[in-house]
Amino acid sequence: MFNVSLTGEFVAFFVFSVIIISGAVLMVSFTKVVHMVVSLAAVFIGVAGMFVLLNAEFLAFVQVLIYAGAVSILMIFGIMMTKHQDVEAEKGRSWHEALAAVGALALFGLLFYAIRETEFPVAQPFQPAQDNALEIGKLLFTGYVVPFELVSVLLTVAFIGAIVLAKKEAE
Amino acid sequence: METVFTQYAWLIPLFPLAAFILLTSFGRSFKGLGVMVGSAASLASLVLALLVLFERMGEGVEDYQDGFKWLDLSTIQLNIGFEVTNLSALMLVIVTIVSLLVNVYSAGYMKSDERITVFYGYIALFTFSMLGLVLADNMLALYIFWELVGVCSFLLVGFWYQKPEARAAAKKAFIVTRIGDAGLLIAILLLFWYMPNHALDFVNIQNVFNEQTGTIAAGITTLIALLIFVGAVGKSGQFPLHVWLPDAMEGPTPISALIHAATMVAAGVYLVARTFDIFQASQAAMDVVAYVGAFTAIFAATIGVAQNDIKRILAFSTVSQLGYMMMALGLGSLTGGIFHLFTHAFFKALLFLGAGSVIHAVHTQNIHEMGGLGSRMRITAWTFGIGALALSGIPPLSGFWSKDAILNTALHENPVLFGVGVVAAFFTAFYMSRLFFLVFAGRPKGEKQAHDSSWTMTLPLIILAVLAVVTGFVETPWNNTLGTWLSGGTETTHTGGGLVMVISAAVGVLGIYLGWLMYVKGTIARDAVSSRMPWLLRLLERKYYIDELYQVVFVRGLRGLGLLLQAMDDFIIDGIVRCVGGAAVLLGRGGTRLQNGQVQTYGVITLLGLVILIVAIAGRRFW
Amino acid sequence: MLSSYLTLAAILFCIGLYGALVKRNAVVVLLSIELMLNAVNLNLVAFSKYGAVPSLTGQMFTLFTIAVAAAEAAVGIAVLIALFRARGTVNVDEFDEMRR
Repeated sequence: MFNVSLTGEFVAFFVFSVIIISGAVLMVSFTKVVHMVVSLAAVFIGVAGMFVLLNAEFLAFVQVLIYAGAVSILMIFGIMMTKHQDVEAEKGRSWHEALAAVGALALFGLLFYAIRETEFPVAQPFQPAQDNALEIGKLLFTGYVVPFELVSVLLTVAFIGAIVLAKKEAE
Repeated sequence: METVFTQYAWLIPLFPLAAFILLTSFGRSFKGLGVMVGSAASLASLVLALLVLFERMGEGVEDYQDGFKWLDLSTIQLNIGFEVTNLSALMLVIVTIVSLLVNVYSAGYMKSDERITVFYGYIALFTFSMLGLVLADNMLALYIFWELVGVCSFLLVGFWYQKPEARAAAKKAFIVTRIGDAGLLIAILLLFWYMPNHALDFVNIQNVFNEQTGTIAAGITTLIALLIFVGAVGKSGQFPLHVWLPDAMEGPTPISALIHAATMVAAGVYLVARTFDIFQASQAAMDVVAYVGAFTAIFAATIGVAQNDIKRILAFSTVSQLGYMMMALGLGSLTGGIFHLFTHAFFKALLFLGAGSVIHAVHTQNIHEMGGLGSRMRITAWTFGIGALALSGIPPLSGFWSKDAILNTALHENPVLFGVGVVAAFFTAFYMSRLFFLVFAGRPKGEKQAHDSSWTMTLPLIILAVLAVVTGFVETPWNNTLGTWLSGGTETTHTGGGLVMVISAAVGVLGIYLGWLMYVKGTIARDAVSSRMPWLLRLLERKYYIDELYQVVFVRGLRGLGLLLQAMDDFIIDGIVRCVGGAAVLLGRGGTRLQNGQVQTYGVITLLGLVILIVAIAGRRFW
Repeated sequence: MLSSYLTLAAILFCIGLYGALVKRNAVVVLLSIELMLNAVNLNLVAFSKYGAVPSLTGQMFTLFTIAVAAAEAAVGIAVLIALFRARGTVNVDEFDEMRR
């Protein structure tokens, strides 16, 4: 699996992997919440790079725009508005943490085992579209027009709901 | 001759059963019911039993058997029925007479007892069981009644269950006789297995073993005979299972007379007599019976010399006399054994009832605390004296004739056993005179004004005294009525003539004279022997340490085993139970700790569950 | 190459899961959930290129996922703010309403 020739894609994949994994690990291990958000943004950007590698340029753009931009900012707003107790309190929950770590590691082991064991069918060569955004736009407004409209409704509902929830209750 | 009443012999046990049911159902509400119902039932049984007996006296009467099918297992049939033979007719009369007299006697003796109706119910139940045992026509039915008799004995010995000694004695009686019952049960099973057609009725048993056709191997015959004898040993208080009988004196005195002198302990002798053909088919079994009987006779007689409790002396005397009967049976003299059983029933019941009268008057059982009662309790003293003389074998009382018949047989069959019998007779005479003189002669002790009891208690004494005098004449050297009647003319006793009679009478008189010298005249000091050989006195007083031996060997051993098992139960079985319970509690506690309302804890548990699920499903491919 | 992407996504997912289960601050839990969503997105896009039938469908799915995730983040933060106002804390282990 790892006997891949040292192509440009592999190098890029390697670099982005390092960014994603280190960002994720840092996010878990940091104590200050703001630092966590920053490392999380790094992960988002790494994933966006992966999307580029996977010939999904439009998605990469969306990823940066929404995740690295909007969601991160939203989280920072959330932190600011809830509490400036921005340091993760250290309290003994060792059993809980150990069990969670064991569970997560075991799940990863299982997933890894499944990935290694599965015989993926040899893929047909992927023909990346000339204009990824164009193709997606076509699809959105033909085959996926109903889900698209539904998502817009969902977004509107979420938006109103968030306002209602976050609004200070009237005296 | 036409048999009329014999056909209705099955009614005899039913009267007491009806009385028992009546008393158990209504006894609580009617206090006075017990005496009337119990006595009436006994009387009815006695009348019918006497009619049956007279009918059987006739010439050429066939044994009468009737019954019904109880269990039909296609190849095997079990019947319940009754059979009237000369032997059982005689036993019926003995049981009913003694039962009736005890019923009458108890009206006085138990008058102040609160549970008198219960007492009468038990007596009725006991009478029913004993009569059923006598009438049973096969081994299985006999065994059922045999066990019922044991239960009644337990109930009656432990009647005053407030006393710990009575409780212990009842338990002891039940458990010790159970050992014998187990032997009898095995014998019945062996009989069932080896008998042709699995027949268990006495007629078939008689035929099979009489013909000597080798239907049943000699070894098995001996084994069956010995196991039956084990049952008889348990019930009849033969060595080494005699230990329960003296302790059973904790029961009310009429019960001692009814059960432990006249009838229940006679069940063992009756059993051997009833299955006599099996014993006769095996010389080894006969020898065992004879030697055990002889040993018990002298063994118990020597213990009787050193006891101080009036009832215990009589109890050991019973054991000793039962040994005589067994010895007679073992020597092949059915008539001798049954004759002695017959006479002994009356004079021993008389002695016990007399002792009860004495105890009733002076409220103690220790003979050293009594004395001079002869002048105050004339009827009791006279009747007791007759009983004691009869037991000592003084002519012409009944005990003389029956003992003489046994000794005669012994002289012809086995001179050693004859010697043992004579020595035992001497001891018997000696301890009876000791008992009599200590209680009735000498100066009065104690402040109480003892006097004769009411007529309900003295009347049975008088009747029994008359019987004790006259019953011996049914079988004398000049008159073989009983022997001819019982054995169909094949057996004769009293062939030895004068010599045995002289020896027997002389020994009896000698024993009494010795007792008189010691306890009345004082010519021989009372402690003449005991002062020189204190260990002997102690040995006899402690009854040869048999009880202690059993205590050490069996009771301690079993108790140790029981403790071990209890420990196992406590720690291992209970431990497992506690572990299971504790596990459930721990699980519950863990569950409540999981249920802490925090989403993350739920998440962790869900994750672990998911992992386990996946492992379980994916892991299936590896095995 | 596909398995490399999948393994990477698995790592990302498990780290996110660990964070979501362990972290106290509710905001960080939300962040961890975003991490898990990203791992899923990565899988979808990887399959859309290297799957048995390469097509844009995976990318479309990802697009919708991102939209839903954005809505989720917004509502989540709003809920957190409301909670904070009510209870004065955003520590997850102090919320045990489900116990009652």
